[in-house]
Amino acid sequence: MDPEMDSQLKIGFIGAGNMAFGIAKGILTGNVLPVNVKVSAPSSRNLGRFQELGIPITHSNIEVVCGSDVVFVAVKPHLVSLVLNEISQHVTDRHIIVSVAAGVTLSTLEELLPENSVAIRLMPNLPCLVQEGALLFARGSHAKQEDGALLRSLLHRCGLVEEGPESWIDIHTGLSGSGVAFVYLFAEALAEGAVKMGMPSALAHSIASQTVLGAGRLLRDSGKHPAQLRSEVCTPGGTTIYGLHTLEQGGVRASTMSAVESATERARELGRKSSKNQLV
Amino acid sequence: RLAYCPNLRARWLSRLSVKCPSTGRMSVGFIGAGQLAHALVRGFTAAGVIATHRITASSPDTDLPTVQGLRKLGVNFTTSNKETVDKSDVLFLAVKPHIIPFVLDEIGPNIEDRHLIVSCAAGVTISSIEKKLRQYRTAPKVMRCMTNTPVVVREGATVYATGTHAEVEDGKLLEQLMASVGYCTEVEEDLIDAVTGLSGSGPAYAFTAVDALADGGVKMGLPRRLAVRLGAQALLGAARMLLDSEQHPGQLKDNVCSPGGATIHALHVMESGGFRSLLINAVEASCVRTRELQFLADQEKISPAAIKKTTLDKVLQQPGVTAEGVGVKPRGIIA
Repeated sequence: MDPEMDSQLKIGFIGAGNMAFGIAKGILTGNVLPVNVKVSAPSSRNLGRFQELGIPITHSNIEVVCGSDVVFVAVKPHLVSLVLNEISQHVTDRHIIVSVAAGVTLSTLEELLPENSVAIRLMPNLPCLVQEGALLFARGSHAKQEDGALLRSLLHRCGLVEEGPESWIDIHTGLSGSGVAFVYLFAEALAEGAVKMGMPSALAHSIASQTVLGAGRLLRDSGKHPAQLRSEVCTPGGTTIYGLHTLEQGGVRASTMSAVESATERARELGRKSSKNQLV
Repeated sequence: RLAYCPNLRARWLSRLSVKCPSTGRMSVGFIGAGQLAHALVRGFTAAGVIATHRITASSPDTDLPTVQGLRKLGVNFTTSNKETVDKSDVLFLAVKPHIIPFVLDEIGPNIEDRHLIVSCAAGVTISSIEKKLRQYRTAPKVMRCMTNTPVVVREGATVYATGTHAEVEDGKLLEQLMASVGYCTEVEEDLIDAVTGLSGSGPAYAFTAVDALADGGVKMGLPRRLAVRLGAQALLGAARMLLDSEQHPGQLKDNVCSPGGATIHALHVMESGGFRSLLINAVEASCVRTRELQFLADQEKISPAAIKKTTLDKVLQQPGVTAEGVGVKPRGIIA
């Protein structure tokens, strides 16, 4: 992506929550200047941390839209239709509207926006906050490949950015949106196992989190299949294979698969519900 | 690599027998004429690694169905274990583990320096065999191997461990023989129990799996014969792919599972049933039981019920064999 173009790009955020903050931080580590970013929220509560980054703040959503090329709609799902109704008249075909609202479909977004609007649906996850997010986006009917490429170049510092059909977004929610919580559960259980065996809790937790982090980095950076990495850790008759056997006996694989399945199903259900609500 | 590819292996072997005529000229004997002896003879014969007239097998029990099979293959069959010893250079002990001590006491006096004793008995240690044979010979050459029944179709899995007095060449000789009927490699003796649990018992796990897969096929409408054929072919093909590939089985599994497809649904069902842990448990159970049997054998505690009366009687009828000589009280303890 053309760095000069980047630095001219104006980015707006409607909503000042964690997702907006995480994405903003990531964007700023690229070529976008703080002065070219704007964020709006009804109250000043969450705006302080944006100001610390040098980002102009406002309480006017319309001001954000008029002053931006790319607008991130980062409000809670039930507020999306309210916000889009408010800004709709100010949206032109030069805008790229990026919604990060869970369960709000592209068809809903396109219905609420003027005809021919460029809409993209983005599902980030919590670790965007530390620039280690997993982000999946789906382009709306009028979003062209170049719009996707632009978004990708903006977001690549937030973590892993991939594009896919809209049907994958619910799966992504189950896998990596909720998946983060599954990992926290596992980390907690690892620590508790250590506490049971006699390690002090604080130390156990800090080691558990580093273990998860380290394993995650090795997995990502080695390019090897996780089964391969697992085999490499297991010395014959050693501690790891004994532990793994116990995990297998507990059916961890199956319940993990089921967890992703449940979360995905729920995301789909919520998506259907919110579509129905929009039409009412 | 050579061991996996039948054509390459056949060519390698034929070059080998030109360079090493040892397998061609040696004689092989089997003490015991049951499933294992029969399977090995069938495999060796199919591989052409030794002529059948150079193979002798013995058992006091001529009623075994495998005896017929061995005779038909052209093997010299006798009821005298001593005769087998005299006619052989490589001697496979292919009897049940608890019979080994009897056999060793019986043939001990006939062992010569040329003999290579290869025990195939699960759980019987090299040291226990050497201990017995040292009563008769100062440096008996003993090896221990664990093989499996697919040697009969030349797809066996064999490991061997080398005893105190066996030389490197003895290992190579055994390896040549066993490589003709499948995969063969040397291991430290302490791994043999684990091998028993995995590939010794392994074919039984596979037969069970194919049987059940076929049931699944039949349930979904396939005729039984076809279901069994397809189930077995699926396992065979998958095993061949894995052996020929550098990839981890997990990766190969992924390659079969298209997103949201039939296979991944089925795999989830399997995981929910604890498929993986079941298999781990099975290998462990077999290995543990092997160790138990070894422990019992080392104690030389042979339960009377474990010895078929007819077999023992027949052993005792052999010239030169006494009850004391094979370690039983005459008549008294036999149920």
